[in-house]
Amino acid sequence: MQPALRYDLLLVGASTSNLTLAHRLLDLAKASGQKLSIALLEKSPQFGAHIVSGAISDPHVIAKLFPDYLTNGFPIEAEVTNSHLSILGAKEKWDLPHGIVPIGLRKEGQCILTLSQVIRWMAERLQAKALEIPNVQLDVFLGFAAHSILFEGDRVVGVKASATGDDNEDNLYAEYTCFGDKGFLSRDLLDRFELRANPQLWSVGVKEVWQTDVDYQGVIWHTLGYPILDGTFSGGFVYGLANKRICVGLVISLDSKDPNLNPQQRLQHFKAHPWLQELLKNGKLVKYGAATIPEGGYYSLPTKFAVEGAMLLGDAIGVLDAASLSGVDKSMETGYVAAGLLHDAFAKQNFVGLAGAYQKAVMEGFVGQALHTSKDFRRAFLENDRLLGEYLPAVCRSADKGHPWLGSLSFGLSKPFQRVTESIHALSLILGKSGGGLPPASYTSCRENIVPDFAPAPVAVMAPAKPETIYSRSDAVFYAAPRYHEGNKHIEEFDPKVCQNCITTYERLGKTTPCIADCTAEVHRIDIGAGVRTHGMSLENCIQCRTCEIVCPQTNLRVNPTYEGSGPDFFGL
Amino acid sequence: MNIFVLIKQVPDQGSKAGVNADGTIDRAKAKRMLNPFDRFALEAALSTKRRYGGIVTAITMGPPPAVEILYEAIAHGVDGAILLSDRRLAASDTLATAYALSQTVRWAGAFDLVFCGLQTTDGDTAQVGPQLAERLKVPQITYCESFEIIEGHIQASRVIEGGTQTVKSPLPAVVTVANSAERLAYKTLRGAQRVQQLQRDEEARKQVIRTVTLDDIEAVPDRCGLKGSPTIVAATEKVGEIGGSCIIYQGRSIEGLVQDALVAIPRELVQA
Ligand SMILES: Cc1cc2nc3c(=O)[nH]c(=O)nc-3n(C[C@H](O)[C@H](O)[C@H](O)COP(=O)(O)OP(=O)(O)OC[C@H]3O[C@@H](n4cnc5c(N)ncnc54)[C@H](O)[C@@H]3O)c2cc1C
Ligand SMILES: Cc1cc2nc3c(=O)[nH]c(=O)nc-3n(C[C@H](O)[C@H](O)[C@H](O)COP(=O)(O)OP(=O)(O)OC[C@H]3O[C@@H](n4cnc5c(N)ncnc54)[C@H](O)[C@@H]3O)c2cc1C
Ligand code: SF4
Ligand code: SF4
Repeated sequence: MQPALRYDLLLVGASTSNLTLAHRLLDLAKASGQKLSIALLEKSPQFGAHIVSGAISDPHVIAKLFPDYLTNGFPIEAEVTNSHLSILGAKEKWDLPHGIVPIGLRKEGQCILTLSQVIRWMAERLQAKALEIPNVQLDVFLGFAAHSILFEGDRVVGVKASATGDDNEDNLYAEYTCFGDKGFLSRDLLDRFELRANPQLWSVGVKEVWQTDVDYQGVIWHTLGYPILDGTFSGGFVYGLANKRICVGLVISLDSKDPNLNPQQRLQHFKAHPWLQELLKNGKLVKYGAATIPEGGYYSLPTKFAVEGAMLLGDAIGVLDAASLSGVDKSMETGYVAAGLLHDAFAKQNFVGLAGAYQKAVMEGFVGQALHTSKDFRRAFLENDRLLGEYLPAVCRSADKGHPWLGSLSFGLSKPFQRVTESIHALSLILGKSGGGLPPASYTSCRENIVPDFAPAPVAVMAPAKPETIYSRSDAVFYAAPRYHEGNKHIEEFDPKVCQNCITTYERLGKTTPCIADCTAEVHRIDIGAGVRTHGMSLENCIQCRTCEIVCPQTNLRVNPTYEGSGPDFFGL
Repeated sequence: MNIFVLIKQVPDQGSKAGVNADGTIDRAKAKRMLNPFDRFALEAALSTKRRYGGIVTAITMGPPPAVEILYEAIAHGVDGAILLSDRRLAASDTLATAYALSQTVRWAGAFDLVFCGLQTTDGDTAQVGPQLAERLKVPQITYCESFEIIEGHIQASRVIEGGTQTVKSPLPAVVTVANSAERLAYKTLRGAQRVQQLQRDEEARKQVIRTVTLDDIEAVPDRCGLKGSPTIVAATEKVGEIGGSCIIYQGRSIEGLVQDALVAIPRELVQA
């Protein structure tokens, strides 16, 4: 029998966080001569092919890692020159005066990135770098997902990453494992060690990249309002990329009451807005994709960021700051911080205290500070559903009438005292100026927020000037280019009976099930056979966003990492 | 068992190959891939090893970049590889190719089984396997879909028109594998690890991937390449691009695509 596949360090996911970790660790090992063998596991067949992001990012960590990032080929779409926060009515767009835009959303000077390209660049450069460091051995396993975590007692000793049936060939062992997997597998660690104080609040982000004939390089908009005015936490984004490309996206919180969010269709409603119709009118869709975003922030952080033998990084912890929609720099920083501590731990062959030191370093650095500052950001909207349910729609309506200020005013004047105090309170939470003193927030999980018979006020969707810019969900899937191997079965449905009941419940209400409505890629369906309606799945369409698992009210689904590199091709998103 | 599997690098079907001034195919310009038919041969070789034990060696004849498919074969689990590469092989037809490959197999040593793909996606002749068997003077089983080794014999099921045929042959033998046979299992972790070790370690690489020339395999140069190829390419004509008259509408919704198509289709046709 061949010896087991064994490494010092195992990185699960060629992610923003893990690639930062690896680069930093290689730099440190180069300087110190520390011997290290590293395995990098990535479920997509190409670097970056399973990654969707915005992304506007403050390049401060990039600059620490690559001081010459402006000249060394690091892929940047543009520097943000004009950053807008806009209120969308159904017809008009109102750019808020710069002075009242929250600091977190003033993005001038930051970088616009196509994250999948950044990932590919960082990974290729990492491989080249490793070849020049004789004391470092880096093996890359592209198209191999970690499927389950291996333990010795309570210590993580590696992962299972293939399915030949022979443990010796399927298991990768390591002294230490780093999960930069967006929770895809590491959610099992949180469950096993009961590390969740509060459930995570997930959003889903749907995004399209368009080739257009207009040059908006460096101009960005974040939008509030249309097309989601039912109280659901959400926002749109439009970023002007290089070479006359534009990306358009919508982020919708899954802790909505609405069981039928239809994220991909909502994105089409967004695109139907006259302002976007004008931008896209001579364009062609290039790519479509979707991914989930952990937005719970401070109160959703796990109680520990590491267990014996393994740590979590980036979105797997949930370090994204929802107030500024910034996860890239936060994820990078977790990797940067981890690298230093891991380097020392390997040098001393002593991992005791690593977990605590890591958590402390992350929380005392800019990541922890940002999370702490905006810890009550989501709470403001949860506590006061009038903010999104009444106030925002009022502003949007008056934006359509050409006097947006009036909307806020008339809303405030209808019950002056209550409105003013609650606005001040909400604003202090949103801006992170509540000054503490509040008890920790407690969240309910996304699925528990669903109200089956929720009846949102209908939103008037403008007829698009160019109907051909609007895509059905089944058409959009082609632009995410999913490809699966024969026999793939990566989503588990636990109990078919539960689904049958769920289908009946929603059909009685004139709706469809959350999994069918909220899937970003036309996977879930109802099969009718012998008078029974059952839940079926066209798994070959799945783009692995995990929305269905998060919204299934009965916790009846689990989206597993796929085998054989199967899945979407998000490269370019 | 000593098992050889013959694999070929072909232009990626998704990319366009050009034509040289002398009418031959310009392979350098196209993106490259492992001949899809050879994936079945590779699986047959690896499954023989899994079931009956042995050593699998992948052999290819081609220019230096063909080493890519040898790495791919190693990622899937073959033990060793041979690259026959020599400028004098350029423009070999099937006669010359089969000759050169037969010399390579002889050079590589005694064997029990040689697996070939059914055909290639660029040459498409399906001649190399059968010619190779003739040259090696061993029995051949073509269109093999499944097989077993029983007491020094191979018993195989062949795809024939309207059904299957079971044949039995003594070893050694040449087998060309049908594309309805077992699909190639995914690459292995250990294989992927080994490829990277070999890419880092030149010494190890030389031992696992042996590169040979016509001189090494004692092939007569005049029987190889253009000289050794009686096939005469009288002329190659470009009869237009495949798909040249076909406009593919994409990048828009179905509604938009139909609109585009309606604009492009001559009026008379639309009305008819
Ligand atoms: C639509 C959208 C817009 C966004 N906009 C912004 C923005 O403007 N600015 C910003 O800063 N942030 C933005 N974010 C958030 C940001 O993209 C993430 O916070 C960040 O990328 C998280 O990095 P990570 O290291 O945790 O994981 P990622 O960089 O997402 O990488 C995870 C990797 O792990 C791999 N993987 C997962 N499971 C396994 C497994 N089991 N085995 C092997 N590999 C596995 C995946 O294939 C993937 O390659 C946005 C996110 C979305 C979805
Ligand atoms: C009329 C004609 C003219 C041609 N002219 C030219 C020319 O001018 N220039 C030119 O470059 N090519 C030319 N070719 C193509 C060349 O002859 C073939 O590519 C080559 O001989 C292999 O034949 P094939 O691709 O048809 O393989 P097939 O016989 O279809 O292949 C069957 C199996 O044999 C094995 N095999 C085939 N080739 C190899 C190899 N190289 N290494 C390892 N195993 C292999 C594989 O297992 C394969 O699946 C010509 C072919 C024809 C029919
Ligand atoms: S998977 Fe969940 S949401 Fe979908 S039908 Fe079943 S129970 Fe309902
Ligand atoms: S099936 Fe689930 S994971 Fe797959 S695309 Fe649909 S919502 Fe996302």
